[in-house]
Amino acid sequence: MTRTWLSRGAGAREPGSGRDAAGERPETPAPEAEPGVDVPEDASAEADALDERSSGAVPGAGRREEPSGAEPGDGPGGRPGNGRPRDSRSRGPRLRAVAAGTTAVLVLGGCGFLHAAHQLRSDESARNRALTDTEATSRVAGDVGNALARIFSYTPDGTAATERSARTALDGKAARQYTALFDRVREDLTAQRVTLSTRAVRTGVVELDGDRARLLVFLDQTSRRGEDAATTAAAQLTVTARLEDDRWRIVDIEPR
Amino acid sequence: MERPARRRVPRRLRTPYAPALALALVAGGFAAWAGQDWYDAAHDDRAAYAVQRDRALAAGEQAVQNLNTLDHRDLDRGLDLWEASTTGELREQLTAGRDAFAGQVKEAETVSTARVLSGAVTELDDRAGRARVLVALRVTVRAADGTRTDKDSRMLGELTRTDGRWKLSALGQAPVGGAPAG
Repeated sequence: MTRTWLSRGAGAREPGSGRDAAGERPETPAPEAEPGVDVPEDASAEADALDERSSGAVPGAGRREEPSGAEPGDGPGGRPGNGRPRDSRSRGPRLRAVAAGTTAVLVLGGCGFLHAAHQLRSDESARNRALTDTEATSRVAGDVGNALARIFSYTPDGTAATERSARTALDGKAARQYTALFDRVREDLTAQRVTLSTRAVRTGVVELDGDRARLLVFLDQTSRRGEDAATTAAAQLTVTARLEDDRWRIVDIEPR
Repeated sequence: MERPARRRVPRRLRTPYAPALALALVAGGFAAWAGQDWYDAAHDDRAAYAVQRDRALAAGEQAVQNLNTLDHRDLDRGLDLWEASTTGELREQLTAGRDAFAGQVKEAETVSTARVLSGAVTELDDRAGRARVLVALRVTVRAADGTRTDKDSRMLGELTRTDGRWKLSALGQAPVGGAPAG
């Protein structure tokens, strides 16, 4: 690369340059004259261009510098194409200050409003949708009440169906507890011909926040052993439910 | 930047303030939107309703606990609390039966203490100032001979707002084997 560059440069210099060698000068007057003419022409053109540009910029800057000397605030305001200095001197800084101040106040005020609104919304009362969202509240209450009635109702020969519905209605800790409990009593239930029917008599949603809910449920449980008379007992449960795939599933049951 | 320079004077005058003006306008829009957002949040009916719900529940749980707590050695204070926690018909009943009841408790020498296990509001009419609550309760009764008995009960309470405060206007056990409701 270096060699090519050097050789080409040397070749290029040969015809046009008069500075190459002093001895060649008289032999080649024309090539010497050509660059001689070219150079001043180019230079003058460039100088003209510079002059033109500077005549546009320098005097303008000079003009602007005068007022900026009188009023320092105008300094940053001075931009190319920035019209009349007198106007920018008298109105510019004030307008700018007013605009900046207004903008700052508006932005700060807006942030204040947003913060206050966020505080209001993140308030614990407001986050709890129990009763405030009537549709969601009655839905979770209905789902959980029905689920409890199904999983705590069985006939001696129908425990399999009960366990099946428990698998869809329960999840997490509640599912594990239920399975453990049922494993213990399944044979007794069949042997003693126990029938249990459960009804959710009252359901109250304590807390409802998005996909989690806590409920207090009053149950009536009627059980019958063989041909004995049925007995009804009261039960109170605190239930935690989670919304999964648009279905409320019970994840925790705590007797009260 | 070069083009405005070629335009007529008024145009050139305004140009440098346009960004500042636009910025101020955007800021104004933002502030207006944020203010509206705050106004909506502050005047959200649901938030006010939620506050009433929580107040009703807190007052209901406390009142149910009060009405299941009584010490035979300090009857007057206990029964005053009963009356302070109630309103309407329930308060009238308690006031009317106060002396007879005080006599019974004094004779039996029992001390009842109640603890709320859980509670929930099932109905709330904010305008009418009425609410219904479920409360799961454990009452411990200590008899004269020192024996303790725990009894879990499930209570249904009705609350009425009087002078800005929620008070019990009806209280009873949730019936067992009765008709389903709520």
